[in-house]
Amino acid sequence: MFKFFSSSNIYLLIQKLIKFINSIFFLILVIGLTFALILSPPDYLQGEAVRIMYVHVPSAWIGLACFSLITILSVFNFIFKIKNFYFINKSIAPIGLLFTCLAIATGSLWGQPTWGTWWAWDARLTSMLALMLFYICYILTFKLLNKEDLIIKVSSIISIIGSINLPIIKYSVEWWTTLHQPASIKITGSNSIHPQMMLPLMVMLLAFLLYAALIFLMKYKTEIIRIKKKNIKRS
Amino acid sequence: MISNFITMNGYGLYVWLSFGIVFISCTVVYFKTKKTLRKYEQEFLAELQTLTLEEQNKVVENSRVAQQILATSSKIN
Repeated sequence: MFKFFSSSNIYLLIQKLIKFINSIFFLILVIGLTFALILSPPDYLQGEAVRIMYVHVPSAWIGLACFSLITILSVFNFIFKIKNFYFINKSIAPIGLLFTCLAIATGSLWGQPTWGTWWAWDARLTSMLALMLFYICYILTFKLLNKEDLIIKVSSIISIIGSINLPIIKYSVEWWTTLHQPASIKITGSNSIHPQMMLPLMVMLLAFLLYAALIFLMKYKTEIIRIKKKNIKRS
Repeated sequence: MISNFITMNGYGLYVWLSFGIVFISCTVVYFKTKKTLRKYEQEFLAELQTLTLEEQNKVVENSRVAQQILATSSKIN
């Protein structure tokens, strides 16, 4: 069982997964873009500006999901000392930062035509900015610190502190009066989004997830090679 | 119809800029990640070259990762 998780087997699995994602990614992206830019209807209130939702919402979700995953793996790494989690986190963090920045940028571009401002210091926007700063601090620990044990400790602490911000982001639109609209899509309860908009959103989310997975696999593969290179003279 | 598609009823600048930023950022990150991966593969091969032929064979025999990197680099070259 544990033999399956050897770096050689993981490396081969990564190769196969990269090939698989490469084979389906463009098809899903083209379908998603066709729906998002052409086939989905304009909003009755926001008009065509609603199309920004198809890049803004998946970006924000992936930004949040990446940090949640980093926190969970950091806690596990802290308790069980599984070094692989450290490499996984190191590979996930830049993806999370990218999508958080994209969520903020596209949100700003959506805010101007709908709210009349590029930016407001309200709870949702400010908490997303805080998430971006946590990501930057997290990534800086890998760049600035040298000792692996110290990096694991400091990065874990940053991710655990940063995780306090995650429920704030999620519930900020309910706890405070914000410019940002409340959640239209709920895991439990009914959605207030029309199926004609829901479908393109889900296809775009799938395309973004595949892209995120592709980048993660390439980064993780780089980490494996880096370790193998370090150990080459020992083997 | 095409003009409507481009102008998006006055929201074209915001919509196209949003999609453009996402597309450009994702493309840059993809190629940067790929470049780093290739760099580490080349560094691994360079490190392998510093070993004697016997040691090289031993590494390649024992490491499937090394076999895969060699296979990838021979495809590129």
